[in-house]
Amino acid sequence: MTTLTGEPQGVGARLRQATGGLDWWLLGMALAVSGFGVFVVRAATESDVASNSGFYFTRQLAFTVVGLVCLFFVLRLNLDDLSRYVWTIYAILVASVGAVLVLGASARGSTRWIELGPVRVQPSELGKVLIAFVLAVVVVERLKAIEPARLSWMVLGLTMLPAVIVFLQPDLGTALVYVAIAVAILWVAGQPITHFIVAGAVIVAAAGMILYVLPAAGLDVLRPYQVDRLTSFVDSGGDRTQSGYQLEQSKVAIGSGGAFGKGPSGATQTINDFLPEHHTDFIFAVVAEMFGFLGGGLLIAAYFIIIWRAIVIMRLAPTELERLVVAGIAAMLAFEVFVNIGMNVGIMPITGIPLPLMSYGGSHTLTNLVAVGVLLRIGMRGRAAQAAGAA
Amino acid sequence: MASFAGLAIVLLVVLVVRLWFLQVIGGAGYQERAEANRLRTVITEAPRGAITDRNGKALVTSKEVLNLVAQPQDLVGDAGARTLTRLSAALGHPAGYFAAKVARAQKASPFEAVVLEEDASPQLQAYVEERRAQLPGIDLQSAYKREYPNGTMAAHLLGYTGPIPAESARKYRDQGYLGNETVGRAGIESQYEEYLRGIAGRQQVEVDARGDIVGRGVISQTSPRPGQTLRLSIDLSVQKALERALAREVAAAGTSTGAAGVAIDPKTGAVLAMASLPTFKPDVFESGTPREIQRVLTSPGRPLLDRAIGGEYPAASTFKAIIGSAALASGLYTPGEQIESPGSLMLYKTRFRGFNNKAYGAIALPQALEVSSDTFFYTLGDRSYRRPGWPLQEWSHRFGLGKATGIDLTEGESAGLIPDLAYKRQTCDRKVDPINCSWRPGDSINMSIGQGNVLVTPVQMAVAYGAIGNGGKVVTPTLGNAVVDNDGRVLRDLLSARAKNDLGLPAGVLDQVKQGLKLAANGNSGTSTPVFGGLPRAFKVAGKTGTAENSSKIDHAWFVGYAPADDPTIVVAVVIERGGQGSNSAAPAVCVTMAASLGFAESRCGSGAKVN
Repeated sequence: MTTLTGEPQGVGARLRQATGGLDWWLLGMALAVSGFGVFVVRAATESDVASNSGFYFTRQLAFTVVGLVCLFFVLRLNLDDLSRYVWTIYAILVASVGAVLVLGASARGSTRWIELGPVRVQPSELGKVLIAFVLAVVVVERLKAIEPARLSWMVLGLTMLPAVIVFLQPDLGTALVYVAIAVAILWVAGQPITHFIVAGAVIVAAAGMILYVLPAAGLDVLRPYQVDRLTSFVDSGGDRTQSGYQLEQSKVAIGSGGAFGKGPSGATQTINDFLPEHHTDFIFAVVAEMFGFLGGGLLIAAYFIIIWRAIVIMRLAPTELERLVVAGIAAMLAFEVFVNIGMNVGIMPITGIPLPLMSYGGSHTLTNLVAVGVLLRIGMRGRAAQAAGAA
Repeated sequence: MASFAGLAIVLLVVLVVRLWFLQVIGGAGYQERAEANRLRTVITEAPRGAITDRNGKALVTSKEVLNLVAQPQDLVGDAGARTLTRLSAALGHPAGYFAAKVARAQKASPFEAVVLEEDASPQLQAYVEERRAQLPGIDLQSAYKREYPNGTMAAHLLGYTGPIPAESARKYRDQGYLGNETVGRAGIESQYEEYLRGIAGRQQVEVDARGDIVGRGVISQTSPRPGQTLRLSIDLSVQKALERALAREVAAAGTSTGAAGVAIDPKTGAVLAMASLPTFKPDVFESGTPREIQRVLTSPGRPLLDRAIGGEYPAASTFKAIIGSAALASGLYTPGEQIESPGSLMLYKTRFRGFNNKAYGAIALPQALEVSSDTFFYTLGDRSYRRPGWPLQEWSHRFGLGKATGIDLTEGESAGLIPDLAYKRQTCDRKVDPINCSWRPGDSINMSIGQGNVLVTPVQMAVAYGAIGNGGKVVTPTLGNAVVDNDGRVLRDLLSARAKNDLGLPAGVLDQVKQGLKLAANGNSGTSTPVFGGLPRAFKVAGKTGTAENSSKIDHAWFVGYAPADDPTIVVAVVIERGGQGSNSAAPAVCVTMAASLGFAESRCGSGAKVN
């Protein structure tokens, strides 16, 4: 595997064929960001577990290695073969996120995992790639066959079932990612703009109901901590709640990093634990504290390259199905990057969305690397089709 | 598709711009806040210096105690409120008790520990130790508390300590005090704060979010510097005798509202004992209940008033020694001259009566002091009125009356009053009684027996009599003797440099006054001979009684005297409010005090021959 990251010269013909049309920019950036993520997780968590300074580091390293293995398996995957099993996949998705509600182990006010022996799996993470695939298949199969409005309603319904279950876990952030994926797929599929306006209005109205109207009527849909999270970014100055504190500490960590950062050993906000969740949701703040505006800016640039390559691949995609899958995955990555960094810097609500390829977590790391694998696979097929077309 | 890329670019640019504002433009401010997070100053309190008597016996010491404290920065949010509520309930306080305390203290000094309970009991210590995990931000912190091994002894002169008052918070902060320190608030504690003050050690440490010391650990530190020991000139045994005697006389008088006494070494000005009744517990402001504090502050008996230096009383007959000295020094009276002293005198068409209208015939100054003849001194007062100038006022001032003595208790000393023309002009009512705006013969005559607006403090009278006894030196009474180290070695002398003003009289001028004071305490007709007449020859006392008329119906009793009469080492002034005649209540208290100082048996007091 290591040879794949090196220069292609001196590699055998079989390998050249296997990697033909590989988007090196995308792969390179994904590997670079993942590697950097492992490094930052290590630097940020050295003093978190008293008896084992490498606790999170070794795990994240293992997750990444497993994720890369999956990535290379995905490179051999044929999406068309899978579209036959779309309802099975959807059923697995709904069943697994539903199982979390029933069997899930509890942690920090939310239940997002199910225990499979020694492994804790977060089905909603893997569900992001699955929902993108399911929705793409559904749209492609029915795009020409049914009314655009019916299609939009259908996609919305298929999205909302798992999204609501995930929301009830409660994991608002991931539920929002599902919605973002659906919106992107419908958009790229060319659904009329009015659908999005209506959907936007519905979302705003729903948010208003959930945050203000229903609580006033005595019906609390969100847990108090969720309301805090959603509203604390608006006014965090005098906020003494947990999320207000998180946001303040995140801003202090980022701001104190200055232009060039305080270095991995000088990042006291992170190391001394003032910044909570510094290896998961607030890992961007760690990067910004350690490496300053320079480091934070370069990381954002890396994400830009990843998203740009995803868009390039979307253009190359040989089939409509693949094009929509890429759209869903690109939207997932872009949404997560923007919302996560946005909440780190205090311009987005705290919704518990991890930073792709950086945040600590097994299911999350695996999902992102699989997603990158899907993009690479489609890119390879696109280039092959392009080459065939040119020949 | 292009719109997708465009949207991505816009959003990522928004992030970069926001990042620029946070890090490059706002960086310095956030760096400060990160430092404030990471650095914590740990204070190690330093004990306040001890205060001892002249022999090194403890008057005030510092005892190490454990205070229950809260770290406000660890008690934020709901969790903090829950902790404080639980603690309030566990200690039997109302639910919001500690939360209010923390909120109050946080306003004053946000990053300093807040004392919730002082001197935590062993049970409370155990409670906290056993529940450390459940009580984040709550701690036991070592601190020092003032201890008074002799109870209320010398309470007024020692003063008390307390928190820095809000109105002078800035002044103390400029001198390097922390907001929550205990400082001297009155008496010696306040006067010698600069020596007594312990300077807390400060340790700057790096902490994590839980407040545990981590990383580079100690970043800088200064060691705590305990306060220095202050040795007073007070002699504990003399002090005890004086307080015991005053308490006994107040009790005996029944109607008395208070008393005061001062004993001074007339050679140096060293204050050997000083007391005031009613008194208070010096630790009342540190550990008293609000009700106790309120009582001390508002009691009509004014227990906080140090009557020895702040109580102004009519001098009454004790003033005759001053008038006699003034008359001799200014030539109003020539030694040996006999003055007719009848029961009353008709002067300026007014009859001035002597005490009990008793007639003594033609007598000289010593006899006049012995029997305390009023008419003799009326004549001297009248002579002073007829003379140009203000000899009585001038000499009173030279003896230190009518102005603060400069005792090292700056706050609380009163000036007293030696009336003069300016005073009369200030206080008269020009419309109703314009004639009272001038100095009139009666003013001089009343002044000659220490009545008519003459007000003195006990410490002033001790200094003035000391000057008569020691050959003309007006000393500055001084409580502080020296700042000493642990082995009693003197680091700084507080006594030698104190001012001593010479009356500037040739030797022997005051002999007649001295003789008179000796007769007054020992002569056949002496007013206090019953008290002092039986003392051993080596301890003969010279002194004068006084019976001060005042606004209440019952007179204040005075005695001022020194001993041994020919070379005094102690001068004592005592006033018993509403104590009746000076010979009955004040003189015995003086005698008991002198006995403790000079070392004769207290039982010899009151063994003198009865005078008819």
